[in-house]
Amino acid sequence: YLNSYMHKAWLGPSSLCCRTPGAPVSAAGLRFVSDAAPEDNRSPIIESTEEYKYVERLIPSSRIPTPPKHTGPTPSGWIPPADSPPSLPYMIRRSRMHNIPIYTDVTNSNRKLTLIRKVEGDIWALEKDVRQYLQEVTGKELPTQVNEVTMTLKVKGHFDKELKDWLVSKGF
Amino acid sequence: MLRFSFIFRGRGVAKRFASSFSNESALPPNLLLPTNLVDPDRLKRPPPPADSSLPPLRKCDAAVPAHLTPVQTWVESLERQDSEPLGVAQLHPDVFAVPPRLDILHSVETWQRNYKRISHAHTKVRSEVSGGGRKPWKQKGSGRARHGSIRSPIWRGGGVSHGPRGPTSYYYMLPMKVRVQGLKVGLSSKMAQDDLHIVDSLNIPTPDSQYLLDLIRHRHWGESVLIVDVGEDFSENILQATANLKTVNVIPAIGLNVHSMLKHEAIVLTLETVKFLEDKLLWHDERYTPLYPFKLPYSDFP
Repeated sequence: YLNSYMHKAWLGPSSLCCRTPGAPVSAAGLRFVSDAAPEDNRSPIIESTEEYKYVERLIPSSRIPTPPKHTGPTPSGWIPPADSPPSLPYMIRRSRMHNIPIYTDVTNSNRKLTLIRKVEGDIWALEKDVRQYLQEVTGKELPTQVNEVTMTLKVKGHFDKELKDWLVSKGF
Repeated sequence: MLRFSFIFRGRGVAKRFASSFSNESALPPNLLLPTNLVDPDRLKRPPPPADSSLPPLRKCDAAVPAHLTPVQTWVESLERQDSEPLGVAQLHPDVFAVPPRLDILHSVETWQRNYKRISHAHTKVRSEVSGGGRKPWKQKGSGRARHGSIRSPIWRGGGVSHGPRGPTSYYYMLPMKVRVQGLKVGLSSKMAQDDLHIVDSLNIPTPDSQYLLDLIRHRHWGESVLIVDVGEDFSENILQATANLKTVNVIPAIGLNVHSMLKHEAIVLTLETVKFLEDKLLWHDERYTPLYPFKLPYSDFP
């Protein structure tokens, strides 16, 4: 007796599902998408690309922008390179973020090195000038290492600030 | 200073093989000289002078740094075998006049050879060789040496103790900037050794392979030529002409690689290829580190 009662209750929703579309189901309170009023002329799906611009303006750029024109040092301390390269036998390019390519390194916690990268031209003349400048600044003869293949210059000790100011004063 | 001994214009190489006896001819008949010997008798056209007054057919799109000057080369035509160059083109020095880093070339070339390598050498270890689970004879009393299994490495037919194990991959990736610099160094080396030729377009009059071979021989380009063009559509004539030739090959510009550049003696680029290569290779000098992989869209990807 109970089983048949449950069976009818269970069959109830299924009969609702099998009814013809168009008859609203108010008993269960459900409204299926297929029961919407039948539209005779279904308009085709239109793709609109007008809102794409809101996404496209968020996509980041992949290129580093050139900095705006400054005459002299900026408030942050960045100094732009001179308009024409200095007339020296060597040239030191700026890094891709427009900074002077001088880096410090510490190995074995007590070996300090200063590395000058991106050198072009006569690297030995640069080495001579660097040694002479650091001799004036520190009074010591500092060992340097020139790598002609990679065109880099290593100096023993941390002299990045002094060498950066010196290179900027030269106009690199 | 590093001495670049690429362009060595010594005495004619053929004279070194000449016999000191005046009766004999200058060169022995069975002498095989390689074609890439620098021999001024070949009369290759010298590159245009740096201060030539000809208006350039093509100028660099990207800004050239102030302390460098663009490289100038002839723009030639493949229409007729003996045609004069059409004009002068300017190439960006940061792509075509980069210092010759042979160590980068070597590392990129070895990477190209090895990163695809999967060696399938595989030997069985004593546990994988079938059999050998049982102790062959008892430990003591048989008079023979003591053994635990018949497949131990000291046995004939036993496993290999330290042999190659399974397919091993030699995959590794060089940094993107190193591979880009390898391409730049390759192009610069070819330019420095006068093996790079710029052509206005790849239109040849006939689909005949012999025409191409005669042209290459007439202009002394070398034994093997690599022709590079942008895009996937090539003219039918050039495709047919190079189809059966082993030493002359056509590739799209995205397929340019250091191994092909080193394998072929001469490289022929079209003007559009030069523009494409300059765009793509110079972008790496001014790009950010990738926020997300470059395969996904960026607003100004080259």
